Amino acid sequence: MKNHCPSPKLLERYFDQEASDEERTLLENHLIHCLSCHERLKLMGILREAIKKPVEEAMEKETFPWVWEKIEMGIKREQKASWWESFRLWLEPTPLFRKKVWIPALATLMVLLLITVSVLFKKITSYSEGTVVKYLESPIYDVMVYQLEKQKVTIIWLFEESES
Amino acid sequence: MAIRRIRKLNPSFLRQIFFILISISILFLSLSSITYAQIQTRLRVVRASSIGHEIDPSLKELHKELKTFFSFTSYRLLREENLTLSLNKPVSITAREGRIIWEATLVGLHRGLAEVRIRVVSEGRETFNTQVRLTPGRTILVGGPRIRDGVIIYALFAKF
Repeated sequence: MKNHCPSPKLLERYFDQEASDEERTLLENHLIHCLSCHERLKLMGILREAIKKPVEEAMEKETFPWVWEKIEMGIKREQKASWWESFRLWLEPTPLFRKKVWIPALATLMVLLLITVSVLFKKITSYSEGTVVKYLESPIYDVMVYQLEKQKVTIIWLFEESES
Repeated sequence: MAIRRIRKLNPSFLRQIFFILISISILFLSLSSITYAQIQTRLRVVRASSIGHEIDPSLKELHKELKTFFSFTSYRLLREENLTLSLNKPVSITAREGRIIWEATLVGLHRGLAEVRIRVVSEGRETFNTQVRLTPGRTILVGGPRIRDGVIIYALFAKF
């Protein structure tokens, strides 16, 4: 039969070796068959390790802001986030992303750039691919267009009135 | 001391630099693609006639194409211009002391395709107006107007 899981506070006391003998016996009996509590204890151990090393470094070098970032990153890394979550966490310390206003601003900028570029380099689709001459106007000449695909030559010949 | 300072800036400072560089690169690429929307063209003005058998040495390659279409026996290069066409900026060359103006404008540019508008103005009057699609390697020949004992042919070739 499975016992009820102990409260987080009790688990923390046990982890910090502050629990009474009775509590410890109770918990150890429970831990034999409770994988969940076992995992919680394991996580506490990982967190302690993540904090311990940078704090020791900080004590030596007195570079606290940098150490705090390392602690944060260490804790977050241990949480086994998805690739997107990892990427987001990697971006997080950047002030640009802390200020959420930059995200819509950058998105707007990208959209504007895309619109500008697509307008400037608009694809020509109004006539068939083989057509070279789009339009032709001449008030004084009769015009003939001759196109040879093999030789990649297009001839526009203008006939003067006297010729016709 | 210097090493210590760099370590203090790590890693958020480096990430700021990374994002600034990425933004600058995107902007630079966008702007450069707009700025360099241009093509190189070569315009040759040729006089073709049926008098004589003189082929201008510089027209040897073009003559291979010309002879399949025309029965002219003589081709002489009158003028050759390398024109850089930028988007919506007309480039013109003049002939006969400004009485004839030949104007080309790049009006559209897509991968492997340039749309060029060509206008010919003679004595202040537009005599010809066309818009053609140029692909790399294609030659557009515009010919017909009489000149002395022959006709004039404009050969436009694009490199891009």
